[in-house]
Amino acid sequence: MTVLDPTVSPVALLAADTSSRELLDEFSKREIRRAILTAVAVPGYQVPFASREMPVARGWGSGGLQITLALVGPEDTVKVIDQGEDAGVNAANLRRLIADTTGVDTTTVAGEATIVQTRHRVPEDELGDDQILVLQVPVPEPLRGVERNMTELRRMHAEGDYARMWVSLYEDLVRNGVVTQTTGYPCLVGGRYVMATTPIPRWDIPKLHRSAHLSLFGAGREKRIYAVPPHTDVEPLTFDDVPFEVERTEGAGCHRCRAGRPDSGVESFLVEIPSTDEGRWVCSDTDWCNRRLASATVTR
Amino acid sequence: MGYVAARGGTEAIAAAEELVCRSRLQAGASWLELDQLTERLRYLNDRVMGEGGLWAPLLAARAIRQAEGDVIEAAHLLRAHRSTLPRLCELIPADADELRPLRRIVPAFREVPGPQLLGRTLDYTGRLLDLGDEDQARAAAAAATAAAAARHPGDDPDEYDGATEPPFPERLLDVLRRTDLAVDRRRGDDPEPTDISQVAVRPGIGRSAVLSVMARAETGALVNLWYRNILGPDNHLHEVTLGEVRHGELPIRVSHPRTGNPVLIGHLRATEVEAIEDLDGADEDRTRFDVGYGLVAGHNERKAIAMANLDIALHRDRSDSGLEQAVLMTTDGLDASGFLEHLKLPHYVTFRSMIERKQAMRTDRARNERKGRRQHTAPAVAPAAPATQPAAVAVGEVTP
Repeated sequence: MTVLDPTVSPVALLAADTSSRELLDEFSKREIRRAILTAVAVPGYQVPFASREMPVARGWGSGGLQITLALVGPEDTVKVIDQGEDAGVNAANLRRLIADTTGVDTTTVAGEATIVQTRHRVPEDELGDDQILVLQVPVPEPLRGVERNMTELRRMHAEGDYARMWVSLYEDLVRNGVVTQTTGYPCLVGGRYVMATTPIPRWDIPKLHRSAHLSLFGAGREKRIYAVPPHTDVEPLTFDDVPFEVERTEGAGCHRCRAGRPDSGVESFLVEIPSTDEGRWVCSDTDWCNRRLASATVTR
Repeated sequence: MGYVAARGGTEAIAAAEELVCRSRLQAGASWLELDQLTERLRYLNDRVMGEGGLWAPLLAARAIRQAEGDVIEAAHLLRAHRSTLPRLCELIPADADELRPLRRIVPAFREVPGPQLLGRTLDYTGRLLDLGDEDQARAAAAAATAAAAARHPGDDPDEYDGATEPPFPERLLDVLRRTDLAVDRRRGDDPEPTDISQVAVRPGIGRSAVLSVMARAETGALVNLWYRNILGPDNHLHEVTLGEVRHGELPIRVSHPRTGNPVLIGHLRATEVEAIEDLDGADEDRTRFDVGYGLVAGHNERKAIAMANLDIALHRDRSDSGLEQAVLMTTDGLDASGFLEHLKLPHYVTFRSMIERKQAMRTDRARNERKGRRQHTAPAVAPAAPATQPAAVAVGEVTP
């Protein structure tokens, strides 16, 4: 983490530094860190911040990128995934931007990373208390489906008035037989604020609940940062007699590492490879899958 | 520096980047110089600076060239560049009365204080595609310039260079105020202009922030919001007349870091508009007019007019109908385009989750139908056990 020398006027220091390749100036990083601290102090509350324009477009991970750039220091190792995949075009692009402009080390192994920046997934590996998960958030407002007016939304959050959210879940259940909310399932954080869980699948939500790691959510376009501190309750909104359901498809298993098959003993979030014969499935977390495959090969 | 060899994506984006770069740098045409953009495509250059929120003509020209003419992409380049720069000081708020006009029209009156100055405008040029001989036209233009120079030695005859000395023309609003025909919209609750690059704006923020958002908005977005109020579902504009339309140079000053005195550091061109609205609403002061204000960087009259009109519309709306939220949250070109284009990103995790819910719904329906049939044939039977495996597990059962 960059530290400003208090004996030198920050303005003089910053004005003199023309060699920096960094995407954010130090003042901006400080402001983002302050917003992060507020977010950690008030779990699930959406903290407004002066989101900067990044070299990636709004909606392409600019919020997560700002958090990562504000946090990353020389000792850090960063992992970047998109849809669980390290090699996807968007993950590759963000990783390249972060590495090229900060000089930080990168990895694909979740356990080796101090910061994991992700879009739409939480790694299958359990993260530890020395790790930070940075989630890219397209839509930070969990109540937008039931209310569009931002002033009213502020009131609802401030008063913990989530009645309309409950009603909409109930109506969904009555009309459709199941709760049809797919990804980004609304959760109550620390018993206080309802939070949008980015569009991570429901499968990943239990991994945020009382986890050892810190989760930071960055919405660049909407200029909001929010957080789930370690060991904080993240409870999906559901009814006592209607258990929260994660994605699961009977009989599906990864055709590479066999995760999800009855004999494998483990499960993972699977994505489908469209095919005309039987559905082919593969782990969304590619690095986790690769490592399972490699260790299985060794064992054999 | 470690660099992970994640396969696939990195190679693909590097190849795409190279293709873009090579095509841009080696197109089969002569190189586009920056002065061609700043001098020949001045509206484009001005628009990019306005929407990019940075007055830097040469940087804007470079951005346009790099973006191959994509306005929003070029504005994005300017703004992302600005994010890398420290903010070293704040300007002293410029006084719009010091705008040195290159063009100034007052549609509301024939005879006004100061000149009606048509200036360099396309307003009354026939929109005919000029297919004439361009060599001849250029020769004729050169001859005309030489003749004008001979008539007025020492003057730059190419362009009216504005009223060079103060006092600059009094504005129409001053006349209306003097005759007590304008409601006074000046307010004391927003003394320091809000810097919208330093705060997250949301409804309820002061007028200075709303005006700043419009000044930086995408031109088409403002024009569209304006037209919605004319012909669309919104109705916050009734009878607008333009007071002032000015394009000119505005002096920019900062406080000297040692003496604290104002120091002129340059000029930027701006377009300023005052729009006069007939207050004809049932609960409005019908004896007066309201005046809305628009000021945008560069020469962009349609944006400044839309802005001045929407300033009135916002006041009239009092954030009741969502117009304020629409202006604040939906008019930024980078926000809207970025989010729209993000749909091109991979979405297969979310899409898989959507398919799964559709299948869960079908499973549930099939189960209910079977249950219904059984109840129909054997109504005394106790509720049937689920016919299929549940399509999901409860939270506690998940083993990541």
